[in-house]
Amino acid sequence: MSCGVPGMEDAGCLFLFGYNPSASHPIVSRRIVKAKEKGAKIIVADPRVIETARIADIYLPLKNGSNIAFLNAFANVIVTEGLVDEEFVKEHTLGFDEWWDTIKEYTPENTQEITGVDPQLLREAARMYATAEPSSILCWGMGVCQHLQNVEAVHACAAIACVSGQIGKPNSGVAPVRGQNNVQGACDMGALPNYFPGYQKVTDPDIRQKFADHWNVPVEALSDHVGYKVSDLPRLIEEGKIRAFYNFGEDPVQTEPDVPHLTKMLEKLDLFVCQDIFMTQTAAMADVVLPATSWGEHEGVFTACDRTFQYFSQAVPPKGECKHDWQIFSELAERMGYDMHWENAQQIWDEECRALWPAAYGATYEKMAGTGHAQWPIPTLDHPGTPDLFLGGKFTTPEGKAHLVAHDYRDPTEMPDEEFPLILCTVREVGHYSCRSMTGNCKVLALLADEPGELRIHPDDAKERGIRDGELVRAWSRRGETMSRAVIDERVNAGTVYMTYQWWIGKCNNLTLHHVDDRSRTPEDKFSACQVEALPDQKWAERHLQELYSQLKEDLAETAAAQHVEPTCGGTE
Amino acid sequence: MEKHMAVCPYCGAGCKLNLLVENDQIVGSEGLDGLTNQGELCLKGMCGYDFVNDTKILTPRLYHPMLRREKGGKLERVTWDEALDFTASKLMEIKEKYGPDAIMTTGSSRGTGNESNLAMQRFTRACLGTNNIDNCART
Repeated sequence: MSCGVPGMEDAGCLFLFGYNPSASHPIVSRRIVKAKEKGAKIIVADPRVIETARIADIYLPLKNGSNIAFLNAFANVIVTEGLVDEEFVKEHTLGFDEWWDTIKEYTPENTQEITGVDPQLLREAARMYATAEPSSILCWGMGVCQHLQNVEAVHACAAIACVSGQIGKPNSGVAPVRGQNNVQGACDMGALPNYFPGYQKVTDPDIRQKFADHWNVPVEALSDHVGYKVSDLPRLIEEGKIRAFYNFGEDPVQTEPDVPHLTKMLEKLDLFVCQDIFMTQTAAMADVVLPATSWGEHEGVFTACDRTFQYFSQAVPPKGECKHDWQIFSELAERMGYDMHWENAQQIWDEECRALWPAAYGATYEKMAGTGHAQWPIPTLDHPGTPDLFLGGKFTTPEGKAHLVAHDYRDPTEMPDEEFPLILCTVREVGHYSCRSMTGNCKVLALLADEPGELRIHPDDAKERGIRDGELVRAWSRRGETMSRAVIDERVNAGTVYMTYQWWIGKCNNLTLHHVDDRSRTPEDKFSACQVEALPDQKWAERHLQELYSQLKEDLAETAAAQHVEPTCGGTE
Repeated sequence: MEKHMAVCPYCGAGCKLNLLVENDQIVGSEGLDGLTNQGELCLKGMCGYDFVNDTKILTPRLYHPMLRREKGGKLERVTWDEALDFTASKLMEIKEKYGPDAIMTTGSSRGTGNESNLAMQRFTRACLGTNNIDNCART
């Protein structure tokens, strides 16, 4: 995010594009309500009438998969209606003419068939966004990222912010609001195939030398090329390129697309290690299961979605023989002949992050004590931290200017057809999180929502299929099938059904298409073709659901129970 | 009752909270005046703490290392020494035979924290010798 979460309430306009904060970030949503109370204009573009649409000044119900056509038309209005911040464009951007060559072809009128949006309404929204004082923020979520043209849409959003001068000042710019609690942190810390900690490129020889020196290895020992992305794992296993997979604190068998294929591929690995706190569906498949301490049983630092580092403490002792994740890596490295030893989390933070990433140097544990925080960039000990990036239009490109890039619209990969006439869009659950291993084990949250989750369907699509509200249905695609509970909902658009990805029996990822874009390799989870049918015998269906759910829980409990049978021999020595 | 300061492990908002602890069990949470949440918590922040206590509602916690000695066999409990020796020797064998790029690891975007991600990426890069590390940012 180029701005901070608290600053959202001081913007003049918040434009939510493919972002449903009341489900994914309720406490961020609270800032949006506050902004509205303070007089900000709210624009929502989403195929569903999400909660925020109810308080929006303008709600734009765009069709699924039409993002680029919509954003290009939005940008077109900014130019053709004279709303460009000419000075900002001249001083702080590059490539306007080439950008305009593409954008000029897209008008609200000639894209209406693709977007489904009333041209006048789109024009009004573009005016509202571009002219808002003192600033506008363009917020997005997975509704941008999990489409075929995801990186293209991010380029489009950034260009819109630049040409309208709605970036480079306080409480403005672009706000891709990160989902998982520490996805910003995992990226910050170099759990990415192209970056060391602090977004320092693995392909830069000077950077490699710096890390090699710090880590006491010859520079040749560090790989000089970008690694693979986890979304390509099934293909890489199939091609024989990946032989060993060490899965740490993730549950791909629940969260990745096309689970039926992924599961088959994971079985082919020579070595599959899983380090987790629960016997997840993924852990149950592993060759080695390593038990780690949970949140609450260790201390550390998270990075919030707006680049804010915050410290969290240990509340209770570890269970059983659980070790901290970093201790396990350290002990493994030692066995492989590499010394990587620390006494505690703070030492890792100081030596592996602050010492190697100049923009994080000022983020000390002391500064983060209690309710303290440190928002990067924070390069010195007395630096206050940086809520707003790019102030004064200073960008991080070699020229210090923003590059305007435009792209033409393409149809999503798997368009609906006669056999699979509905679009499946996977979304988030307010009371459950990620793969649900944590929230599904919380008493209150498990009571509030349980298997098989819901499939939200428009009344017309339900009627056509003889589906009644609250009944169990079968949903399937070219990949696989699942069972879910239909909720007839006039707030969702006809032609698309919505499922949350938290359910282990009602698993929407049995259906999702595994197609990734060329740049970011992000799966197109928001757009797969599917079909849904009513289940005629509801009594059987309810019983079958309970059987499947009980069986799954029993299987996992039985697999986990083996850990309480003490080993008969010691180590392999 | 003890109170321990934490940051909510669910979404990216970064809400500060206190975990309320009795007899080594987490029994409640209360919002703190953090930068983002200003004392407020959502449904998950208020009710999402007891998974740590191993409620076994959905699936049990892991307490001990486990190993599947052969493909198709069952997971059985082993000592840490055996689990780590096995993993280390298998990783070295695969690295030797197919090169470091035949190994892939992940960071974790969840409750583990930044320090563990720093340790995992150093292990992947400096010890295994590959940049094949990624996290669930795409899903």
